[in-house]
Amino acid sequence: MGELGKIHQLIINLFGYNITINLEVVLMAWIVFAVILVLGYLAARNVSMQPDSPQVVGELFVDALYGLTEDALDKKLALKYGPLICALFLFLVISNWLGIIPHLEEPTKDLNTPLSLGVMGFFIAHVAGIRKKGFKNYAREYFQPIFFMMPLNIISELAKIVSISFRLFGNIMGGSIIILVVSYLTYSLILPPFLYAFFGLFVGTIQAFVFTMLTVVYISVQVK
Amino acid sequence: MAFENLSWIQLAAFSGGGLAMGLGAVGAAIGEGYTAAQANMAVSRNPEISGDIFKNMLVGQAVAESASIFALVIAILLLFLDVPNPNLIDAAALFGAGICMGLGAVGSGMGSGYPGGQACFGISRQPGAASKLTTNMLIGSAVCQTPAIFSMVVALMLMFMDFGNAPLQPTWAALIGAGLSTGLAAIGSGYGGGLAAGASCEGIARQPETVGNVTTTMLVGQAVAQTPSIFGLLVSFILMFKVFPESSSLAAAMALLGAGVSTGFGGIGPGIGNGMAAEGAVRWVARNVQSAGELMRIMLVGQAVSQSTAIYAMVVSLVLIFVV
Amino acid sequence: MAIEGADLIKAAAFLGAGLSMGLGAIGPGVGEGMVAAKACEAIGKNPKEAGLLTRTMLVGQAVSESTGIYSLVIALLLLFVV
Repeated sequence: MGELGKIHQLIINLFGYNITINLEVVLMAWIVFAVILVLGYLAARNVSMQPDSPQVVGELFVDALYGLTEDALDKKLALKYGPLICALFLFLVISNWLGIIPHLEEPTKDLNTPLSLGVMGFFIAHVAGIRKKGFKNYAREYFQPIFFMMPLNIISELAKIVSISFRLFGNIMGGSIIILVVSYLTYSLILPPFLYAFFGLFVGTIQAFVFTMLTVVYISVQVK
Repeated sequence: MAFENLSWIQLAAFSGGGLAMGLGAVGAAIGEGYTAAQANMAVSRNPEISGDIFKNMLVGQAVAESASIFALVIAILLLFLDVPNPNLIDAAALFGAGICMGLGAVGSGMGSGYPGGQACFGISRQPGAASKLTTNMLIGSAVCQTPAIFSMVVALMLMFMDFGNAPLQPTWAALIGAGLSTGLAAIGSGYGGGLAAGASCEGIARQPETVGNVTTTMLVGQAVAQTPSIFGLLVSFILMFKVFPESSSLAAAMALLGAGVSTGFGGIGPGIGNGMAAEGAVRWVARNVQSAGELMRIMLVGQAVSQSTAIYAMVVSLVLIFVV
Repeated sequence: MAIEGADLIKAAAFLGAGLSMGLGAIGPGVGEGMVAAKACEAIGKNPKEAGLLTRTMLVGQAVSESTGIYSLVIALLLLFVV
């Protein structure tokens, strides 16, 4: 049980500041990038009117996510933000599935990964909102319904980052802690594979989808 | 009568374990009872497919039970845990872990019964959509478990983290507050998520071809309804990881306990309310799929407003922790 | 540990602030959720009036929010004034 909360860290001293890098997370994220690149290469290797099977899978995937983006935004914006949404979902889903392979860990288990993705989504949504409405109209919304609600409105916007990233982090980390505890209690007999299937594949996919959809929805709330 | 440290810890662990399983059984029992009641109604409506309904009921109940299984795991761990170097602060941590898991399982258990019940009833209406209904029910009730998973994370951290070096005053209040914060806040979010999932199963039974839109709206609604329990988790983390200076005054301890209580209770209402908003939106997405975008937007606006009270509660908690 | 009167009062005020905001948030949270649910129902029935219905919903929620704001005010008074 001593593995609970153990992190390999690389601490670099740069101009008097300590920069901490969580090595395992970075390594796992690079593995995810490699997997995505391989998948992308397979899907786009020989594009033709008679698609081979990787191309079919890739097209179905991109088509489905573009459709979802179009439902929430309009057609023009969907073309702009669709690639982002596809990339986000692919990264999250492969990250969450990575834990079912022995010796590999989900990069999303570390709060830094979901938090940075959440901050990224927040800035994209707000920049999109400022571009669409102009800074004046954008700023005016914070003074709704009365001017002194401004601090609370800002807090509720910032709370979105917290909620979106903690949701993913809590689910993935919770799943891996539960698997660890149950494996310890049952001496890794019988139950753990089912738990990996439930928390790794099922909950991992749902939470990746939820994160992606919420990013789309936050953009659509800002631009409308 | 002077107790030794070890006796205090055993006292806390046993009462915490009892509360964890006792409270943890409440929700799942109600939820599964609802599923079974709806399944009975479904069989009386359409006795020919009672086999399908029975299968679906069992699958739904198995998922609804997971919250109370989490509680069982925590209770067993609390009963058989041996603390290496007994310290009075561990007693507070173990008691906090017990309440956290017990309260946290109530909402999720109760909520995840709804999708099961509505799916059973839906199968009797639309036997052709049975597989769609079962899939949607599984997704909905799995997402309902998220608040219970958060409680379990906090409970396990309270049990296995080393608080030995922290001063007893006021850290004991921080640890019990951490348990209350996540545990109480999970009640509303779990129940609310269940309402949304139930409405989605009912909607798919009416209009099986809207399944994509309905599931998406349900997931977004449930995710937003979980926000109050995420605030609870955040406050718990702050209470567990922040080092508080030693002080013998009661006020410092009560401030930390108050912080946990505020976010905890404050999360119940918004969690249920957000679930109701999601329920309304999901129900009408199924009936009027052309307005799905409009409904999703108004659901989010309504939920954001109803969440503001949870945000006030979190602000009060943060003021209690950092300012006072 | 000797507990003095002033300390006890401070302790009660802090716990009271937590309880006030915590319990006070339950009602508005559920109430505003109900409003939002009914607004969704109304838009589902009559999508043309979406703008009007959104405005009505927001006004209704603002009114039912007021008790939550009272709790916040009382909690802040307990924290900083008492």
